[in-house]
Amino acid sequence: MGDFGLISQVVVNGILFGSMYGIAAIGLSLIFGTMRIVFIAQGAVIVLFAYFCFWLFSLLGIDPYLSLIPIILASLLLGAAFYYGLFKEAAALKDRIGSLLIAVGLMFFLENFMTVVWTPNPRAVVTSYGFYAFNIFGIHFTLTRVIGLLLAILATVGVSTFLRKTLMGTAVRATSEDVEASTLMGINPNRVNAVTFVIGIGLAAIAGTTMATTYSFDPVYGFDFALKALVALTLGGIGRVYGALLGGIILGLIELLGTFFVGAGWAQAIVFAVFLLALIFRPYGLFGGASE
Amino acid sequence: MANQLLEVKNLDVWYGDFQVLREVSLHVEEGTIVALVGANGAGKTTLLKTISGLLQPRKGEIFFSGKPLHNLKPQDIVDRGIIHVPEGRRLFASLTVLENLRLGAYIRRARINFDESLKRAYDLFPVLEKRKNQKAGTLSGGEQQMLAIGRAIMAQPKLIMLDEPSLGLSPILVKTIFQLISTLNEQKATILLIEQNINQTLKIAHQAFVLKIGKIVMSGRGDELLANEEIRKAYIGERAGKR
Repeated sequence: MGDFGLISQVVVNGILFGSMYGIAAIGLSLIFGTMRIVFIAQGAVIVLFAYFCFWLFSLLGIDPYLSLIPIILASLLLGAAFYYGLFKEAAALKDRIGSLLIAVGLMFFLENFMTVVWTPNPRAVVTSYGFYAFNIFGIHFTLTRVIGLLLAILATVGVSTFLRKTLMGTAVRATSEDVEASTLMGINPNRVNAVTFVIGIGLAAIAGTTMATTYSFDPVYGFDFALKALVALTLGGIGRVYGALLGGIILGLIELLGTFFVGAGWAQAIVFAVFLLALIFRPYGLFGGASE
Repeated sequence: MANQLLEVKNLDVWYGDFQVLREVSLHVEEGTIVALVGANGAGKTTLLKTISGLLQPRKGEIFFSGKPLHNLKPQDIVDRGIIHVPEGRRLFASLTVLENLRLGAYIRRARINFDESLKRAYDLFPVLEKRKNQKAGTLSGGEQQMLAIGRAIMAQPKLIMLDEPSLGLSPILVKTIFQLISTLNEQKATILLIEQNINQTLKIAHQAFVLKIGKIVMSGRGDELLANEEIRKAYIGERAGKR
């Protein structure tokens, strides 16, 4: 197998890792769609959920996948609380700069809060099966990462189905396209904004649990993660749910293949060079026209 | 006096430092077609936007079926039975025809009668049923206007406000749209209409109000205004000459 085997391994890891960026990007995409702001605190929120998972595991001995249930429930409440507590007023005034500043403030608050509560030292959730892996064609699949990918796919299908098949999902898409026209249909923009926040934070809960089970994390890791999610979103095209997941996976591949061939430092530079190129040449994403 | 569905009293509306409407008062009787005519920039669209709650008046009151409306949010105004078909139609282009119609019936009161309303919309516009799974953005201009009106009736409104429904349509489609407005009216919808086609509009309007630089300067029955020398000179002749 030699090099080919090694490269295949990097490709697989890139896909598994990138799916996490992907679901973070879906959350960003939804919130951007209805409120036209980049929810830059998304990464910090993901790390917060990773800590929730870490706490439930280390203090109460709850299996991280079982802890998905309380964590997702908490995320739904937190999503609604974020919107109604922090963003509703700014959204009503269509104050995007204000909303963005609130998101930045929330991010720094969470980073500092987490540093106080959990110390700046990296943490990880190490389960008995955490290192379990299986081999297919000589490629190593770590169980927790595969579960992470499956969760990401499941979440993506779930969100996409919600947007396409339900009346509220249709209202979310309509509001993303034209807030004023959707208001004239009797759609309450606050409710739609709250729903997108709840879904976005719910996705952060899934990404956070995956992060906790597969990698180590620290309180300030979230900002970098949010930037990567933004890159994934740009690659996938705003408003495209599957595009965002795919964008995340492509980004994961660029990052890990870049690290493999030219080193970690260059890989980060390449990631953001791709971001700039995508913005210049494919502003609507790699996969087509203006919107779906 | 017949039943007043909508009453606007002494409305002042400002865009920042600029006053758009000055003490505008008008009334719409139930079951009639009321036209709002005037040059571009006279404030017609602003008036509709204020009635539908997109803009807040600085002064004045709006009553619908005798109840105050001017403090309500747009979604509550839709719920009371007023639907606003805005200028340029404002369809959700990336959504299908059926999805647009579904959102027309978004409010709870309309949602429960969705099937019935959908049948009515399809009866009125068979082409919408044929194109139901097509994205709204791919429809022709005439079809888009039909969808906009179809979407409006999905909300089971008492009052339909139409802002320039014939804009950008071919003369034959313009005629169709005017026939349609009459048909809707015969089916008991009350209509408040803004139009550039003053001639045709005044022919079908029971009542008309002339808006000039933010003020109502004249009102009367449609045929009265149509016969009025001043109106003919200012608005009907105007379309050929200066803009």
